[in-house]
Amino acid sequence: MATPSKTPPGADPKQLERTGTVREIGSQAVWSLSSCKPGFGMDQLRDDNLETYWQSDGSQPHLVNIQFRRRTTVKMLCIYADYKSDESYTPSKISVRVGNNFHNLQEIRQLEMVEPSGWIHISLLNQRTNEPISTFMIQIAVLANHQNGRDTHMRQIKVYTPVEESSIGKYPRCTTVDFMMYRTIR
Amino acid sequence: LAERLYAEVRSEEALYLLATCYYRSGKPYKAYRLLKAHSCSTPQVRFLLAKCCVELSKLAEGEQVLIGGVLNKQKSQDDIITEFGDSASFTLSLLGHIYCKTDRAAKGAECFQRSLTLNPFLWSPFQNLCHLGDKPDPDQMFKLSALPNSTLAPPPLHITPSQNPSHRLDTALMETPQDTLELNRLNLESSGKLTSDLSVSYIDSSLISPETGSLLGNTISIASAGSLLAKQNKPKSGRNLLGGPAALSPLTPSFGIVPLEPSPGDPTYLQNFSATMETQTTASSKKSVSRIGQSKSVFSQSGNSRDVLPIPFNQSQTSAPHTSGSPQVLSPSMSGPPNVQPRRSSRLFTSASSTAKENSKKLKMKFPTKIPNRKTKCKSAKTSNSSNLNESLDILRLDPSLSLPDTRIPQYQRAAADSVMALLRELGRGYQALCSYNCREAINILTSLPPQHYNTGWVLTHIGRAYFELAEYMQAERLFSEVRRIESYRVEGMEIYSTTLWHLQKDVALSALAKDLTDMDKNCPEAWCVAGNCFSLQREHDIAIKFFQRAIQVDPGFAYAYTLLGHEFVLTEELDRALACFRNAIRVNSRHYNAWYGLGMIYYKQEKFSLAEIHFKKALSINPQSSVLLCHIGVVQHALKKSDAALETLNRAIVIDPKNPLCKFHRASILFANDKYKAALQELEELKQIVPKESLVYFLIGKVYKKLGQTHLALMNFSWAMDLDPKGANNQIKEAIDKRYLPEDEGILTGDHFPHVDDSQDSSIMTDADDTQLHTAESDDVL
Repeated sequence: MATPSKTPPGADPKQLERTGTVREIGSQAVWSLSSCKPGFGMDQLRDDNLETYWQSDGSQPHLVNIQFRRRTTVKMLCIYADYKSDESYTPSKISVRVGNNFHNLQEIRQLEMVEPSGWIHISLLNQRTNEPISTFMIQIAVLANHQNGRDTHMRQIKVYTPVEESSIGKYPRCTTVDFMMYRTIR
Repeated sequence: LAERLYAEVRSEEALYLLATCYYRSGKPYKAYRLLKAHSCSTPQVRFLLAKCCVELSKLAEGEQVLIGGVLNKQKSQDDIITEFGDSASFTLSLLGHIYCKTDRAAKGAECFQRSLTLNPFLWSPFQNLCHLGDKPDPDQMFKLSALPNSTLAPPPLHITPSQNPSHRLDTALMETPQDTLELNRLNLESSGKLTSDLSVSYIDSSLISPETGSLLGNTISIASAGSLLAKQNKPKSGRNLLGGPAALSPLTPSFGIVPLEPSPGDPTYLQNFSATMETQTTASSKKSVSRIGQSKSVFSQSGNSRDVLPIPFNQSQTSAPHTSGSPQVLSPSMSGPPNVQPRRSSRLFTSASSTAKENSKKLKMKFPTKIPNRKTKCKSAKTSNSSNLNESLDILRLDPSLSLPDTRIPQYQRAAADSVMALLRELGRGYQALCSYNCREAINILTSLPPQHYNTGWVLTHIGRAYFELAEYMQAERLFSEVRRIESYRVEGMEIYSTTLWHLQKDVALSALAKDLTDMDKNCPEAWCVAGNCFSLQREHDIAIKFFQRAIQVDPGFAYAYTLLGHEFVLTEELDRALACFRNAIRVNSRHYNAWYGLGMIYYKQEKFSLAEIHFKKALSINPQSSVLLCHIGVVQHALKKSDAALETLNRAIVIDPKNPLCKFHRASILFANDKYKAALQELEELKQIVPKESLVYFLIGKVYKKLGQTHLALMNFSWAMDLDPKGANNQIKEAIDKRYLPEDEGILTGDHFPHVDDSQDSSIMTDADDTQLHTAESDDVL
């Protein structure tokens, strides 16, 4: 499904957070990398700083593993990649796998990017139900880089879970302040 | 200087003086250790020691000191009364406090009742009783019984409680207007933080008494204000004095009873009063140790002679310099005898209140005792401004007995006392109504107060809180902004304001408030709560959590901080920690219905519906007027399949608060789930009128139409719903449409915010329980 045109950048996930529809839950997970160069590791990947990045240091595929304490609903992943600054380090083919543990992973999305220049939103929806997946573990695998580069740079990754919509009842969110006022006692 | 004196004299009195100095300077631990080292037998010393114990949270010891050790026979309350004499009501109040904190709420309530009967001007026991969930009748409590002239002569303490009250009333009345309100505010604010907790379950000893919380709050606020108290003594006297002349005009009209005729007795009376006041001021300003020696002589002199008039006056003159400003104020006022009549009263009131602390409740005209009593009173006054009243009462008693056979004075006193009592009664009724969550009534009572009282921060804050509890956030917000305008230094009650703004989603106002409060006072939990609310509104939950934790650090007795923290944890899905927080809040204050509500919500999320229902019902028992609570109970009952009960509950909710759209919405959804489509549609149509912009309404209407098979209408409503909520967390809406029109989907699914999602072609089952049937039906249709 790769198109010759460049992959457009998505919206800044911070905007999404402000809408209250999603919540970043990376802090609730245990992250691990298949390999990294010293000084360019996990911290740089999760530090909210687009200047710093993770640089892998092994053989492909490079893996980012995200393990949750409990089964968590994940709605989307956001990855920041920038071809202009990373060139051959920019990932071009990414596979997202989920499962219960390392032996149980199943690929649910594969995504090809052409010269990305910003945030890439990867929504993780169950094929059948169109609901966000609920899983213990997510693995992001970089299968190939641009220009056939060996190692990859990844600047930032964010994981989002859908926010519980209404405080009561299984209805979607209220939109007006009038409704929201009465939604809960604080 | 006090230390020098003590080294010199080594008497109990000097010891007492020294300890008081320490206590006043905000170092109760010093006073505590000092007093412990020496055996203390006189009641005043014991009282001071007990107060220190309480502040240092050594409650058992405090109790022991007051009551007598385990080895000795435990004294009954009557014994205490006899022993402590005038300061009995304060002692009892303190004892009640201890009982409540140690979870003996029943005894605590009893103590408070006793102390109130002894001294109806004490606001704080009344407040604490309200918190405990007792419903003390303010009319009973704040009663001014007949005040015979004879009672002006110092009667023994328990001649007649009624007489005592009347005496106190007099003084108290005098004091009440100005200081009471301020002091009340002080006390109430501290208790106000915890006023949301009020359940009658003071019998339910399993719950930590909210009283404890409020008392703790009281003590803590007092302790924290301990260092301020010393300063307060002076400012208070200053204030009172200043309030005196200033209060003349308002005092006169508002109480209207005190006539303006000057009388020859007035100047002397005034002098008496000022003298006494001075004396007291002197006594109270222990910090002005420079005068200790002198004050001692003052005491002894005043003790020795009934003719307190000239002597204290002289003394006060001499000791004038050390009180801040009050002497100066005093002198000019004293120099103006003519219009002194009202002044006198106000002065009495004011000075009484200010020096009330110092004022001993002395009923006995024995000055020596009176003086130490005064000191005691000073301490007790810390807990209640009524002590001020008592003081003034004492002073009044003192004066009349001293020199003034003028019967007009007692009359004025009584008249003034009456008016103050009336005010107290009104305030008490309003407060009690609020505490039992009769919010409408509370609003009525409080709004009917005379305007100068109405426009004070205390009253407005409490009315605002009443509106808040009724979920009328607009009104509450209006009132609170008024409070901010009038008294921008007020922090108590601001946390309710911040939550109001949170509900109304006014983030600009909220962040301004947060900044202002945190700049003003970093040590009060309310400021941090406001800051936390601000960030919570911005959905920065981690930061909000940090701030709420800070609020708890600042004041572990502030139940609301725990509750707010619990809510934040719920929003970040850390339900275990949220549970712990809510439980903490309840531990601090078992009448904090918000915490019960929070627990219910967590259980609801965890689908433990019966547990949820129990907790919601508990919250409801505390606050029966909350339509939001009823709404939630209705939904839970529906989840428990008790749809009829659910409908009934929702009906009740709608009756109580017809403006709550969510109740109607949930009622409609229950009707829908029960297949009563017409009724549901009717509800929803009404809702549409009330809240035309709410996408949920259209969504539900669409679902109903879909079920009814009127697909075109359903589609119309779904598209409206989507229009109103383009950000589409409403994949449910999309799916609802999807399931209906599979082939024709692409055209409809505009604004898809999942750029990479393949349009789901299958009729997936929606998670919405209500819709399960519907969708299977639909998918069958489609397939």
